[in-house]
Amino acid sequence: MRYLNLLGSQLRASLLLAMQYRADFLLDGLVEVLWMATAIVPLFVVFQARPTVAGWRFGEALIVMGWFTFLQGVLEGAINPSLASVVEHIRKGTLDFVLIKPADAQFLVSTARFLPWRAINVGTAMVIFAWGFRLLGRAPARRDVAVAAVTTVVAVVVLYSLWILTVSAAFYVVRIDNLSFFFNAIFDAARWPISVFRGAVRFVFTFVVPLALMTTYPAQALLGTLPATTLLAAIAGAALAFTVARVVWNASIARYTSAGG
Amino acid sequence: MIRVRGLHKHYKVHERPPGLAAALRSVFRRRYKTIAAVDGIDFDIADGERVGFLGPNGAGKTTTLKVLAGLLHPTSGEVSVDGHEPRRRQDAFLKRIMLVLGQKQQLLWDLPPSETFELNRAVYDVPRVQYKETLDELTQLLQLGELVGKPTRTLSLGERMKCELAAALIHRPKVLFLDEPTIGLDVSMQATVRDFVARYNERSGATLILTSHNMDDVARLCPRVIVIDRGKLVYDGTLAELVTRIRPDKRVVLRFSRSVDAADLAALGKVVRHDAGESVLQVSKEAVNAVVSRALAHLPVSDLTVENPPLEEVMSELFARSQARRVAEAAS
Repeated sequence: MRYLNLLGSQLRASLLLAMQYRADFLLDGLVEVLWMATAIVPLFVVFQARPTVAGWRFGEALIVMGWFTFLQGVLEGAINPSLASVVEHIRKGTLDFVLIKPADAQFLVSTARFLPWRAINVGTAMVIFAWGFRLLGRAPARRDVAVAAVTTVVAVVVLYSLWILTVSAAFYVVRIDNLSFFFNAIFDAARWPISVFRGAVRFVFTFVVPLALMTTYPAQALLGTLPATTLLAAIAGAALAFTVARVVWNASIARYTSAGG
Repeated sequence: MIRVRGLHKHYKVHERPPGLAAALRSVFRRRYKTIAAVDGIDFDIADGERVGFLGPNGAGKTTTLKVLAGLLHPTSGEVSVDGHEPRRRQDAFLKRIMLVLGQKQQLLWDLPPSETFELNRAVYDVPRVQYKETLDELTQLLQLGELVGKPTRTLSLGERMKCELAAALIHRPKVLFLDEPTIGLDVSMQATVRDFVARYNERSGATLILTSHNMDDVARLCPRVIVIDRGKLVYDGTLAELVTRIRPDKRVVLRFSRSVDAADLAALGKVVRHDAGESVLQVSKEAVNAVVSRALAHLPVSDLTVENPPLEEVMSELFARSQARRVAEAAS
């Protein structure tokens, strides 16, 4: 309950901040719509040449694209801004003020900053879902929507854990800009269904940086083709990723030496 | 209240030799050395006491402060603050302390300070009624007025420091850690901050630990000082006694109605300064009375005061002495 209150207060501050910068909102929204449009272009090109790619029809590939759009919104709207501010805290030594607060430090830094305008991505994702299912000539089953909701949680948890691990690296190397660029570049591959990739790349994208878990599995869930065992494995994987991230975070905090003084 | 026994804090730092070739070598093979930032310190601080940590830059003051606040884990030793072990950072402990760092700020940069206050209210779980009471009191004591509603980035350094103090006191802490709270402030703002801290301590009975290079802060706020140099405790006692021990001499400041020959002054004591209208003499404590009566009898004195030597001088002498001692030890 206390943490819900706290989340409310943090959200409030982010909202106030967002409203102070209305111009940013307009620009952000415009850039986002443009990005989405260009992101779909490669799909068009590929599917014009052939009806299916690695067993995925255009409509189905759009569902993966929809999840990618949705998760990008989560990443850039809720996860990335907060954790980028941690890096700033570590560099300037102001993490002291976070650590001195009587609340979980990981919670405080993770909820420090939201970009509410990123909710635009959620809207765009819905449009892409609708478009995909229209091409497929059907609507998702109610049960599939429920399973997709579970996989969404799994995807967000995995994404969040990966970011916590990335940020923990900042305690050791201070400048993690390159790491975050690297992460974003890899995340970009999540717009394709996992079966597009072969061999080692596929293994990496399933188990090391589990892009499959983030976009392909939710799409399969929504399409009703996700095997139950895969779902369970994904849940277990997310729980493991979260635990590992927590342990690494705590170890990093203990190592923190503060800057200046 | 605070008990510290055998506190050590060591850092392992990477030795970076000068020059490009050496820097390149260090990319592949690093040499580390251990630095003892705090090297075996013991002290006790009672409830409501006001203590100043003094020492040159890099002496270990801030490190000690951060260990007490739970931000840094000690390498070894025993630390207890208000019955808690700081490094465990329990909520019950953190709710009892506050930390203000003069060189860093917790206020949200683009929002008014009132938003940081509100956020801290939520974090510290302060009941609304108590929050309003505390805020009213702080607003009045610090004369915050309209400041709290303006975006932080538009405030001056002094205004920001006042708001920093308020933000750090929302939860009515019992132990205050202040690290260089007046750094960069103009003289009148320094005085405002000092007076506020002194009054807060009197009203709340909170324990205060301060580090500062500004001797006026120390003189105004801290009856007791702990001097740390190179990680070791070199003095723990009253400020007055420290001054007498290091510089037992007094300063006799004389102002004259007409100019006086330097030779006449030299007969009275060591001349520290001799300007047209004012001269400063250094005189041993025992000789003060005799010197004062002789000056009044023989010189055209219009005004006379007896002062302690400036604290800055006392400190630099103290640090110079311990430096000399170290050099002597290293040589023997």
